Amino acid sequence: MPGMVFLPGFLLLALLLQVTVVDLIRIRGVVPDLVFILVVFYAFWKGQREGTFWGFVAGLLEDLVSGHYWGLNAISMAAAGYLVGWFETRLYKESRLVMMVLTFLATVAGQLIYYLLLFYLQVVISPGVALMGVILPAAAYNALLSALIYRRFYRLYLRGWFRVSRL
Amino acid sequence: MTSGKRLFFLVILLVVALYVMRITAHGRVEVPPLGNTLVDAFGTVEQAVTRAGRLARDVFTFPFSLVRASQRAQELSERVDLLESELQQAREYQLENERLKRLLDFQSGPAASSHLELAAAAVIGRDPGSWFSTITINKGRAQGIKTNMTVITPRGLVGRVISTTSQTATVLLITDPRSAVSALVQDSRTPGMVEGIAGGAGNLRMIHIPNDMPVKAGQVVVTSGTSRSIFIKGIPVGEIVSVKRDPTGLFFEAVVRPFVDFNRLEEVLVVTGVRSPAL
Repeated sequence: MPGMVFLPGFLLLALLLQVTVVDLIRIRGVVPDLVFILVVFYAFWKGQREGTFWGFVAGLLEDLVSGHYWGLNAISMAAAGYLVGWFETRLYKESRLVMMVLTFLATVAGQLIYYLLLFYLQVVISPGVALMGVILPAAAYNALLSALIYRRFYRLYLRGWFRVSRL
Repeated sequence: MTSGKRLFFLVILLVVALYVMRITAHGRVEVPPLGNTLVDAFGTVEQAVTRAGRLARDVFTFPFSLVRASQRAQELSERVDLLESELQQAREYQLENERLKRLLDFQSGPAASSHLELAAAAVIGRDPGSWFSTITINKGRAQGIKTNMTVITPRGLVGRVISTTSQTATVLLITDPRSAVSALVQDSRTPGMVEGIAGGAGNLRMIHIPNDMPVKAGQVVVTSGTSRSIFIKGIPVGEIVSVKRDPTGLFFEAVVRPFVDFNRLEEVLVVTGVRSPAL
C-alpha cells in the first residue's frame, strides 16, 4: 500500500506495548525496549541518515509519553541509530545472529550515552551497578528479543511494510 | 546542506535537546498543557491495554496456579488464623496504649491512632526503561492528587507522587535510584535512609545507620516521618535481609527487602490527608 505510514505506526504500537504490557516480562528490574529494537532494525536496513533521524523521533516519542526528561531517549537512540546505520552496507542482512550481536552492541552504546546523560541530569548511579545491573542485562534482553522477531520483521520490510510516506 | 551547516544544525539540536531535557525533569516545570493532554489521552489507552495485558497474563498462568491451589489454601487459612490472633493482641495493646496516654495526658504522633484519608487508584502504566522505577496511576489533579503525596498499599510503602497531569499522576517507587526515604528500624528506632538501587532486583539499601546502633536481619523498617521527611510516619517499608559496613567505615549499610511486591502492583492508595483523631 503505497504512501501509508507504517514505520510511525509500528513505533507507536511498540511504545504503547512498552509502557503497558512489556512490564509483565520484567526480569530483575530490566525490560527489553521494543521501540529501540525497531530503531535498530530500521537503521540497519536504511543507513545512518534514516537511522539517526528515526532514532531521534522514536526516542523523543518515548520521552514525551513518559512526560519527563524530553530529549534523553531522543539523543541516546539517535546515537544508536547512527552507529547501527554505519553497518548498513557492511553486514549481511539475512542473518539473525548478525542482528543479535548488532542489537547487543547498539544497546550497550545507547545505554552508555543514556547513563552519561543521567549524570548531566544529576541522577548519579555507580558505574558498577549501572553496567552489571542495567546496561548489560538490557543489552542481552534486547538481543534475545531481536533474534526472536527479526526474521518476521525483515520479511515485512522486504514486502514494503516499513515505507514512510514522503511528505 | 553543506556538511558544515549540517554539523552546526546538529550541534544546535543537541544543545536544545539538553536544555529541554533539564527543564522537563520532574518538578522543575509544570508539564505544559500540550504535554498534559498528550499524557492524559495516552493514559486512557494505557489503561485499556494494561488491563488486557493483565487479563492475558492471568489466563496464561491460571493452569499453573491451580497446581498447588489446595495446599496454598490450607497454608493461607492457617496463616489467617495466626494473624487474627495477633490482630486481637494488637488491639489489646492499642486500647491499653490509649488508656495510658489519657492517664499521662500525652499527645501522640500522626500515624498512631489517626486516620489516613486515602484515594484508591489503578496502576495503568510503568516507566518504559530499565533505569527508573515509576508507575502511572489513573488519578490526577482533577481527583485531588498533589505532588509529594505518599502512596501506599496495605502491605507497605510504595512511593510518592512526583508529578501530576489532570487525569493521571506519576509515582516514584521506593525502588527508584532517585528515591530516598527517611526511615527507622521499628523496634530499636535506629535511623537510616532507604534508597532504591538501579536494576537492583527489587531490593532497597538502607544507609547512614549509625555505628553505635547495629541492626540485624529480620528487623522491620518503617518510615520515620520526621519534620523534614515528605512521607507519612510509621508506614512499613520492608525487612532487613543483611548488614555490612559501608565503604567509608563510618556507618552500617543494610539490604532491605520491601514488603510491597512491586512486580504485582495493580492498585495503590494515595494518602490525600491525615485526619487527627477527635480526642
